[in-house]
Amino acid sequence: MISIAKKVCLLGDLAVGKTSLVSRFVYNLFDDKYVSTIGVKVSRKTVIIPRAGDIVELTMMLWNLAGNEEFDRVRASYLRGAAGAVLVCDLTRPETLDSLQVYADDLLSINPNARLALAANKRDLTDQQRLTQEQEVEMHFRHLGQLLAA
Amino acid sequence: MGDAIRRKIRDARDEMVEALYPIIGRTVIRAVSEAIRDLARAVDAQMRASLSPQTLWRRLKARIKGVPSAEVALREALPFQVNEVFLIHRETGLLLRHISCDPEASPDSDLISGMLTAIRDFAQDAFGRGQEGELNAIQYGERRIMIEAARHAYLAVVVDGIEPPGFRAEMRERIIDIEHAYEKTLRNYDGDPMPLAPAEASLRSLLTAGQPRALSPAQKCVMTGMLSLVVICLAMFCLSGRWVWQVMHRIPTPLPVAVEPTFTAIPPSTPTATLSPTPTVPPSPTPTLTPTPAATASATPTPVIGLMLGNVWIRTEPAAASPRLGLILEQGQSVEILAVFGDWCQVRWAPQAQVEVVGWVPVKWVGTIDPIPAQIITPMPGS
Repeated sequence: MISIAKKVCLLGDLAVGKTSLVSRFVYNLFDDKYVSTIGVKVSRKTVIIPRAGDIVELTMMLWNLAGNEEFDRVRASYLRGAAGAVLVCDLTRPETLDSLQVYADDLLSINPNARLALAANKRDLTDQQRLTQEQEVEMHFRHLGQLLAA
Repeated sequence: MGDAIRRKIRDARDEMVEALYPIIGRTVIRAVSEAIRDLARAVDAQMRASLSPQTLWRRLKARIKGVPSAEVALREALPFQVNEVFLIHRETGLLLRHISCDPEASPDSDLISGMLTAIRDFAQDAFGRGQEGELNAIQYGERRIMIEAARHAYLAVVVDGIEPPGFRAEMRERIIDIEHAYEKTLRNYDGDPMPLAPAEASLRSLLTAGQPRALSPAQKCVMTGMLSLVVICLAMFCLSGRWVWQVMHRIPTPLPVAVEPTFTAIPPSTPTATLSPTPTVPPSPTPTLTPTPAATASATPTPVIGLMLGNVWIRTEPAAASPRLGLILEQGQSVEILAVFGDWCQVRWAPQAQVEVVGWVPVKWVGTIDPIPAQIITPMPGS
């Protein structure tokens, strides 16, 4: 079995739920309290994946980057060396989807080969959800995908 | 309550200090006393080991540098320990290697390496705007994280106490060595730390860097040089002594020639023939028998040649208790066998031209190729 480690960043606006997502993914717990970060918090998640007839133990070092504007300048440093990123948006705030393009551009300008994943968060808050139509979300994502491909 | 205390402290600081001193002051005094006692113990231990090579070397260094040896001992007594060593990929913050002196060290070393990298990046962005320089140490209580970076990787070493001089240079040396050895792997790091496994041995040496260790290569060179000098001096002394001894003993003194016992085996033409005052052998039970081989010896035309098998004193009579002539027949010396009496053999040799010496040596130290003729062997009584 091969063991490899990769740096993965979580990007998204303030309070879209990046920290909660990490908590859920890494520690399998969900804390509804908002945890503010000081700019970045590193967590680890190990997964076993098959690859080319072998098994790979992949350790993802999750860099949870704060979405606050005050960390905008330092964020570029944190993105260095990232193999990929999870772009997180908040379904209750459509403007958080728009920002994802900026985050994606920032990351790809530093790491052109980085892989991206999109995560739409807070789907359970149906009463506050402003992007209720799945098609609308899909449209946003498709649009983002086209921009990234371009 | 808390607010009231804060307000009281702000308004009447002196009063509060006086009120708290009996409690806090005593605690502080106790802590300081304990710390000083520990330091004294450490200095004492250093002094007790004052005859070790390391201490002698340290004293020599202190003398050369002009620093009092007491200060050097005090400096050496300050505790220092390397707890953990992290080798971290600079760009990604991924942990490449981790070594700890504690086998039950935190398993979150990879998280620490990530956070350390984030802190370094943050410090660089916050304070290093347009300036050269990097974060090279983080202090946390008594513990310190020393950081030394190369182009693609950096070393973070967690230490307690004050590092000895040269420790940071050693860190720098290690990271540069690793950078050179694994430059390609580090430049295109794919997340697999296995190719860097051999670097662990190099990092492990940092763990023992603060402990008393064997002599440095320079010290070893000096010590080896001094030892070689001593050995050479000793060898020269021995050789010269041996040469002097040989010279002194090769020159025949008049004394042995004067007292040598002569038997008729000495040809009349030799100068020693006339110097034989006492042919008798006092301690021997058969002193009167000794002259008898003389007649037979003179009758044999061909001399019997022997070779000395060891370094042997020459004696005046065929007995161990008889006086020595003051000469030693050396191993390998060729001698002429004049007579054999019991376990003793009378020999003659010429240490110099015109000088002959005759005396008795144990027969076991004289080797012959041919058997000794019966006519020069004096039969013992009862044999």
